[in-house]
Amino acid sequence: MVHFVNVTMAYGSHIVIDKLNLHVEEGQLVVLIGPSGCGKTTTLQLINRLIKPTEGDILVNRQNIKNVDPVELRRKVGYVIQEIGLFPHMTIKQNIEIVPRLLGWDEERKAARTEELIQLVNLDRKYLKRYPSELSGGQQQRIGLLRALAVEPPIILMDEPFGALDPITRESLQNEIVALQKRLKKTIVFVTHDMDEAIKIADRIVLMKDGKIVQAAASKELLSNPANEFVEQFIGRHRLYSGKADTVADVMSDEIVCAEKTLSLIEAVALMRHKKVPGLFVIDDTKKLQGKVSIEQIRKSELSEQDALETIGIEQICPAFENQSAREVFDRMEAEKIDALPVVDEANTVIGVVTRSSIVRSLAEVVWGNQS
Amino acid sequence: MSNILPAMLSHLRITFLGVLAAVILGLPTAAFLIRHDKLRKMLFIIVDAIQTVPSLAMLTFVMLIFGLNDTTVIVAIFLYSLFPVLRNTYVGLASVDKGTIRAGKGIGMTDLQIFSMIRFPLAAPMILTGIRLSIVSALGLATTGVFIGAGGLGMLIWRGIQTRNMGMMMSGAVPVFLLAILFEYVIGLFEKQLNKRQRRSIS
Ligand SMILES: Nc1ncnc2c1ncn2[C@@H]1O[C@H](COP(=O)(O)OP(=O)(O)OP(=O)(O)O)[C@@H](O)[C@H]1O
Ligand SMILES: [Mg+2]
Repeated sequence: MVHFVNVTMAYGSHIVIDKLNLHVEEGQLVVLIGPSGCGKTTTLQLINRLIKPTEGDILVNRQNIKNVDPVELRRKVGYVIQEIGLFPHMTIKQNIEIVPRLLGWDEERKAARTEELIQLVNLDRKYLKRYPSELSGGQQQRIGLLRALAVEPPIILMDEPFGALDPITRESLQNEIVALQKRLKKTIVFVTHDMDEAIKIADRIVLMKDGKIVQAAASKELLSNPANEFVEQFIGRHRLYSGKADTVADVMSDEIVCAEKTLSLIEAVALMRHKKVPGLFVIDDTKKLQGKVSIEQIRKSELSEQDALETIGIEQICPAFENQSAREVFDRMEAEKIDALPVVDEANTVIGVVTRSSIVRSLAEVVWGNQS
Repeated sequence: MSNILPAMLSHLRITFLGVLAAVILGLPTAAFLIRHDKLRKMLFIIVDAIQTVPSLAMLTFVMLIFGLNDTTVIVAIFLYSLFPVLRNTYVGLASVDKGTIRAGKGIGMTDLQIFSMIRFPLAAPMILTGIRLSIVSALGLATTGVFIGAGGLGMLIWRGIQTRNMGMMMSGAVPVFLLAILFEYVIGLFEKQLNKRQRRSIS
């Protein structure tokens, strides 16, 4: 979908992108990550012709973009700009509807689409009439995202789109982006500073430094086989060691956040807030696993605060078993992008939780011993 | 007293035509100058210089070409108004946040759309300021038109002085004063309104 062929970009004698070769397949979510100034934003802006390469060719949809009208190109490529860049003199509604307006949609279609979009990011309708300066940084960032998604372009460029968001909104938008990309086969190039975010959403991570690609690989590959010391340093605590396979019991933690199914919704929300988690595992009075609920589910439900958790429709989940291999569970968590799984014994009693970081920590202990 | 109204209308006509001409020429020129830095610097030197010519001298020069009539005053007002209109419009257009422009470009606006949907509306308060300054000073300048035989409220003031008729003098001076205050206030109000909406977004 997007191909860089020996692309070099220089400001005068300062080379910012150095003979870059990058291939982004259709329907892939590729994350560009690297230290500040390594050329991530420049790479994105080369794709929509905001910047012209000094040398080399860029193909979008098999067409050399040199030969494509930049305005046409940009309307097919959604762009979430790092500075957010909302139009200060337009209301939120006008900001969201700007691309549909440029494309000449009628009022009805625009309004319907806007309605869909604000639900996507859980934004109250009352904000539609406000101006960007009346919104918080995080809210503005969400509007910037919606502006880029409005006409569902096949390719979307996102430059640190979630930088100013709180963890819960960030989490839910990350999930939304991944879902969107899978459901609608979007091709997404996503820039971030945050390795957690990259691991969570990327099909492929491209680690850059000084305008060059240091390593481009699926996150698992990157974490288990870092190409050099720089990559190792950059991924830091996320590094995986291909040591002997431990069982789940060895890597699990007992700090699981559970709630009995009879707990009221308001108490459940308070618990999540207190523990700073986006969801809860639900158990019955004998600690048997029932499933899970997310904060999203509760937020969207019409139930009253005093209703019990079980009335909301608990989502069934397949837990990890204490004697299963840790590797297997980790692979599954990676593939399904799960952050935490409950661990149960033969009797389906909850005995702990595995999280990505608990696995990484345990595997690190295998290699380094338990001194840290 | 019956001649106040015609004098005021004639005064306003002279003022507006002069400022209008400056706006009609100034806006597109300022837009053009965003992309032409060298030309801008040269042009601004000239416009600055015009601004420093004393008004009586200016009227005299212009009179040599256009004669003893309203047109001369209108042209002089036009020349003086170029400075505030051109400079404010330019600064307004050029100081629009780069991120906002890049966002517009990035979502596929044409150059014309970037101008009409982003730059111009965001510069509007600044442009209005330029027009307000021009109108207020033009109201004053228009009173001196009487020296070269033009109409307007200056005529009443001058005749009042000539005939030591305090009433007549005031019948010219007070409307000029009130008009100046009125325009200052009303246009200022518009500017405030626009500015309030457009407080820069956090970026
Ligand atoms: N207009 C410009 N003129 C000159 N140099 C520039 C310009 N824009 C960017 N650069 C340089 O290009 C390099 C890459 O910039 P870029 O914005 O792509 O970095 P980045 O990886 O996006 O960084 P960050 O994570 O801080 O956003 C930097 O060294 C920067 O100083
Ligand atoms: Mg950047």
